[in-house]
Amino acid sequence: MKEEQTTEEPNKELEELKQKKEEYFAGWQREKADFLNYKKQEFERLKGTLCIAKESVFEDIVPVLDSFRLAEKAISEEDKNNKSIIGLLMIKKQLQDALKALGLEEIESIGKKFDPNLHEAIEEVEGDKPGTIIEELEKGYLYNGKVIRPSKVKVSK
Amino acid sequence: MSKILGIDLGTAITKSASIVNGEPKALENREGSILTPSIIAQTKGGERVVGILAQRQAITNPKNTISAVKRFIGRRFSDPEVQKELKLLPYETREKSDGGVEVKMGDKWYNPIEISSMILQKIKADAKDKLGEDIKNVVITCPANFDDSQRKATIAAGEIAGFNVLRVINEPTAAALAYGFGKKDAQKILVYDFGGGTFDVTILDVSPDVVEVLATGGEAHLGGNDFDQRIIDWILTEFKKEQGIDLLKDALALQRLKEAAEKAKTELSSAMETNINLPFITSGADGPKHLEYKLSRSQFDSMTNDLITRSIDRVKKTLEEIKMDKNEINEVILVGGTTLIPAARDAVKNFFGKEPNKSINPEEVVAIGAAIEAEILTAKEEGRTPEGDIKSVLLLDVLPLSLGIETLGGVSTPMIMKNTTIPTTGSQVFSTAVDNQPSVEINVLQGERSMASDNRSLGKFVLNGIPPAPRGIPQVEVKFDIDANGVLTVTAIDKASNKSQSIKVEGSIGISKEDIEKMKKDAEIHAAEDQKKKESIEVKNIADNLIYQSEKTIKDAGDKVTAEAKKEVEDKISELKKVKDGDNIEDIKKKTEELSQAIQKVGAAMYQATQNQEPKKEEGPEGAPEAETEKE
Repeated sequence: MKEEQTTEEPNKELEELKQKKEEYFAGWQREKADFLNYKKQEFERLKGTLCIAKESVFEDIVPVLDSFRLAEKAISEEDKNNKSIIGLLMIKKQLQDALKALGLEEIESIGKKFDPNLHEAIEEVEGDKPGTIIEELEKGYLYNGKVIRPSKVKVSK
Repeated sequence: MSKILGIDLGTAITKSASIVNGEPKALENREGSILTPSIIAQTKGGERVVGILAQRQAITNPKNTISAVKRFIGRRFSDPEVQKELKLLPYETREKSDGGVEVKMGDKWYNPIEISSMILQKIKADAKDKLGEDIKNVVITCPANFDDSQRKATIAAGEIAGFNVLRVINEPTAAALAYGFGKKDAQKILVYDFGGGTFDVTILDVSPDVVEVLATGGEAHLGGNDFDQRIIDWILTEFKKEQGIDLLKDALALQRLKEAAEKAKTELSSAMETNINLPFITSGADGPKHLEYKLSRSQFDSMTNDLITRSIDRVKKTLEEIKMDKNEINEVILVGGTTLIPAARDAVKNFFGKEPNKSINPEEVVAIGAAIEAEILTAKEEGRTPEGDIKSVLLLDVLPLSLGIETLGGVSTPMIMKNTTIPTTGSQVFSTAVDNQPSVEINVLQGERSMASDNRSLGKFVLNGIPPAPRGIPQVEVKFDIDANGVLTVTAIDKASNKSQSIKVEGSIGISKEDIEKMKKDAEIHAAEDQKKKESIEVKNIADNLIYQSEKTIKDAGDKVTAEAKKEVEDKISELKKVKDGDNIEDIKKKTEELSQAIQKVGAAMYQATQNQEPKKEEGPEGAPEAETEKE
């Protein structure tokens, strides 16, 4: 009886310790895994933040490009060969290229079928092909597949 | 543990929030916005679109674009108020057999419950995208004056969308919950809700068990849009006066102007003045016209003053209705985007004579309150602690003050910064300050000050037996290790000889709170002068180092450099030596720069004439053995 007790006690303690060790070890592994996962998530989040930062810059710069476009449209025939004006239009091209290099894509619209995913209808006008875009009032843009701004268009009735 | 949603199902805009990492947070939809227009459409192609997409095609498809159904949900067709609203709609409606309202979209008739459920379905799908799991449990909000049938209809819309609607709560109640009011004592709360199109005021009696609505009031057509319109009207008038052109007739110009007006309004919430700049807005007989106006906040305020006065008058009326004095109100909460306008905030503050609650984004506060309620109810159902309330079983301490060592010139170099979670380790490699330095002394410091003498020394030890070498060559790694009990072990190892020495500091990390606070305060007070002291030492250290390097270079170069160049360097060295122990930092910097240029010239000359390098010889000033900050 006495002997049995003495072997049973350390065994019991050993079992308890084993169990605890398992518990702690598992907790440690989990913690480490959590940390590694956190790092990965953080990396993804950082990439996301970068995208958002770019998007907000695009949102602010795109109106400048709009103004350039309107300016270009307003140039009279006689001014078209003016060197200063040609230079200013080169600046527009420069801005356009820089934004393109940063990943900003232009949305195609004229002649396309109206798609609310990409276009915003401003007016409906008489036309031959119903539901087709006849005129683009403001260019729309995509970045990373996301619409930064839909193109504002006139749609055929 | 299931994820939940709080949904602010609005007449014009719907918002949702959830608990993310223990914090309530408004969720973005697929289009990347927190705001989802409460609009449904069946496109000409027969496709059903919801939210911003429906809004974009509205003009081409007005008959099949359904908006503002919240005005009819759970109401009777014959209700005179409903009748009034129905007249304004571009889409078709009729009386349902049970007396309710039905709207036509495509060839089918729908009741407002079905339309609302379509909005909620989008919210559900977008939330699944964001949170990565399907959401069941939700709390939806409704206006405080919704009757029983309107509330039941709201629940039905949620259930059709596939949600388990735990509860429908009042929008102002949700706002009060978001701020955590009424948890301890009963409080009288006034919610000032100034949205895009409507203004609502609600007075609540919030206590731990019940939230009672004491009074409601509002203006059905008063909101942020009116503020935009004021700016638009002002510009239209000015432009016409100056250029003789009416922009109202130009669809694109008007569109650009609308956007610019809203942007100007938003900017004036933080800036005192804004520019409305629209080049090539239109063209007249004499060529293109540009639009450029400056709008100051005070101009804007005087333009819109009456709108704010109307809202405050409504607040007064609502208080009068229940014969309550404004001083009886314990807390005022701001809800709705229009409360971001400083004049609106000031008007509320001046009327009540106290600061209103505005720390939670007023556009999100209702959805956030609903999310908090949904989480509490779900946690109860699942027998767990609400997320965000969980206290970690594994409590980890943070270091109250930075730990570091003393380096050359008595500077305190931090090894582990304050607020680092422990257990943790930090290590850095240092070197010697003089040639053939046999030992380094490690003085372990605690505190935020730049100079070692201003910080607390926790202990010192010396690492001996560093093999003879020129200064800067030996590599001594100093390692700090703090265990979970706050016991600090500092070890220094000479990498060449592998000799090491360490010290254990027990209990010293946890000094009294008062001491910690005092040390932190001292550091703040002395931050500027400490920085100066540290900088001056760094400048002197750089000067010292350059003198040493230059002397060595000249010596090593022998006759490879001209006597002339040598003389120049030697002159510069002696000039720098004269000033380097003084207090004129700018002078030391200048002389260091001069010497640096002189020695670079020598270096370049040597490089050109380069042949075999002679073996190096060491020489340097004797000095007290000290560690030098030369990080690897």
